[in-house]
Amino acid sequence: MILLRLLLAVGIAAGAHEIGTTRVKAVFPADGSYSVEIETDSAALLEKLAARTGRAGTFESYQEALRARMRLAFDGVEVRPSIEFSMLADTGVLIRLIGQRPARATAFTFQFGWVFTTYSLQAGGKTYWLEGSVPSAPLPIVITTPPSRWEIAWQYLALGFTHILPYGLDHMLFVLGIYLLSNKPRSVLLQVTAFTVAHSITLGLSIYGYLSVPPSIVEPMIAVSIAYVAIENLFLTELKPWRVTLVFGFGLLHGMGFAGVLTELGLPRGEFLTALLTFNLGVELGQLLVIALAFGLVGWQFAERAWYRRRVVIPASLLIACAAAFWTVERVAG
Amino acid sequence: MRVVYLLAALSLQGHDMWIEPATFWPAAGQTVAIKLRVGQELLGDPIPRSSRLIREFVVVDGAGRRTVMGREGSDPAGYVRGGEAVIGYWSHPSLVELDAEKFNLYLKEEGLESLLAERARRKQSGMAAREQFSRCAKSLVAGAGDQLLGFQLELLAERNPHALGGSALPLRLLYENRPLAGALVVAMNRRGEKVSARTGKDGRVRLELKGGGMWMVKAVHMVPAGEEWASYWASLTFGLEGK
Repeated sequence: MILLRLLLAVGIAAGAHEIGTTRVKAVFPADGSYSVEIETDSAALLEKLAARTGRAGTFESYQEALRARMRLAFDGVEVRPSIEFSMLADTGVLIRLIGQRPARATAFTFQFGWVFTTYSLQAGGKTYWLEGSVPSAPLPIVITTPPSRWEIAWQYLALGFTHILPYGLDHMLFVLGIYLLSNKPRSVLLQVTAFTVAHSITLGLSIYGYLSVPPSIVEPMIAVSIAYVAIENLFLTELKPWRVTLVFGFGLLHGMGFAGVLTELGLPRGEFLTALLTFNLGVELGQLLVIALAFGLVGWQFAERAWYRRRVVIPASLLIACAAAFWTVERVAG
Repeated sequence: MRVVYLLAALSLQGHDMWIEPATFWPAAGQTVAIKLRVGQELLGDPIPRSSRLIREFVVVDGAGRRTVMGREGSDPAGYVRGGEAVIGYWSHPSLVELDAEKFNLYLKEEGLESLLAERARRKQSGMAAREQFSRCAKSLVAGAGDQLLGFQLELLAERNPHALGGSALPLRLLYENRPLAGALVVAMNRRGEKVSARTGKDGRVRLELKGGGMWMVKAVHMVPAGEEWASYWASLTFGLEGK
C-alpha cells in the first residue's frame, strides 16, 4: 500500500491509468529458483474463482482454476509452479509461485489474467505496468543476491532509529517527559530501563503473534501515556515507585505501537530475529540520543539552577501535555 | 455464498466500472464505505482513490453536493454518511491500446456496431486502436431517487427504482446533456440475469428488473477523437429489496 501510494504520488505513467491494488514481484535468486509473488484483493479474487468454477471454496481448492488464467514462461516455455497462499493483514492475499527455472533461461513472460485493472510487475529493479488480458513482453531475468545478515541488521537498526528520530515525535516527547521528571541519573536510568524492558516484551510478543491489540486502541493510549507522564512532571519532583511501574506499563503500550510499524515495514523471512532485534536496538539508540541531546543542550548546564524547574521542566512538560492531549483527541476521532 | 457460473467465457476487453457502496441500505448516520470497482459481470477489482483519475467524486443529498471524502490511494475510495443520496464518480480519460481484433470484438460486445462501420469506412478495421476511456458512474443509496449530475455520458433513472411497484424502470441516456438514441443499455445483477434494450429517439429505454439485490445499468458511447477514440462508460447501481 505504501509503495502504491508512492507510485501514484510520483506519477508513474504519462496518462492516468486505472491502477488496482494488485502487485506482482518476480525474484530470481542465484540458486536457480524463481519466486513470483502476487498480492491482490482476496475477496475480489475469491468471487471470480467461485464464479469461474461454479462452487464456493478456499484458495487451496481453486489451485487448478487459478492456473487457467495465469501464465509463467521462461524463454517461451511455460512452467508449472508450485502455489502457496497466505492471507495478508488487510484485505489481501499473497500468492507465491515457486519453482526451479530452466537452466540458462534469460527471459521470462508473465500474465495474471484474473485482474481487470492495470497492475504492476516488479522485476530486476524495474516496474512494468501490465493489463490482465495481455501477457508481458519477454522480460530479462536479473539474478538477485539476497542481502546479507549484516545488511539486514544495518537496515533494521536504521529503521528502528529513524522511527524515533526524526519520525517519531510522539515517542520523542514521551522520552523527554521521562527525562524531565528529575535530573538524577537514577531517575532517568530506572525509567528508561523499565520502558525498554516493557516495550521489548510487547514488541516481541506482537511480532510473533501472541499479542494483538488493534491500533485504534494502542495509538490513542500511547498519546494518553505521554500526556500522563508530562502532567505528572508538573506535580512531582522526584522518582516515586509507582512512576516506574506506570512507565513500565506505558512501555508495554509503546511496544505494541512499534510492532504495528514493524509489521507494516515487513520482516524478512530468513532473518526474522535479526531484524526484530536490530529494530528494537535502533529504537533504543534513538531514545538514548533524545535523552543525550536534552542533557547536552539543557540539562548539563542548567539542571542545578534554581530556575530550571520553573523555566524549563514546567513549560516543556506543559507543551508535551498539550501535544499529547491533541493527539489523543485526534487518534480517538481518527 | 451464492455462486453462479459466470466467467466461463470471459472476454477481457471493455471492463465495466461501477460504484459499490458497502451497503445500499445504511442506518441513518451510519458511515458507508464507497468502493469503486472495475470488472465484468459485476465481478470487480478495487480501484483505490486516485486524484489523478478523479474529475468529480461527489455525493448529492438533501444538504447539497459535496466531494466524497477519502484517503488518497485507499480502497474503499471514500465514505459517506448514511441517508438518501446519489453518489457520482466521473473520471479523467485513461488510455488503452488494443490490437485490431480485440478492438473490433469489443465494439461488437458493447453494441457499438456503428463504430465498426465507421472503422470500415475509414479503412481502419485492420488497425490497432488507441482509446481514451472515461467513467461516468452513479449509485443510489438508501432508496434515493436519481438526479442529473451533469456527467458527459449519464444514465438517469426517470422513476425511483426502489418504488416501481412491479413496473419497468424508465431510464434516459444523455450524452453532453442531450438524449442519445440507439445506444445499448444493459442491466445486470450478480445472479447472471441480464436485460437490455436500445434507446429510442428521445434517449429513453425501459428495463424490467426482476428480483432484488444489487443491479447495475450500463451504457457505453464512443466517438472518434482525431486518430484516437474517446469512450464514455455510464453506469448506475442500486440495491433492490427482496430475493
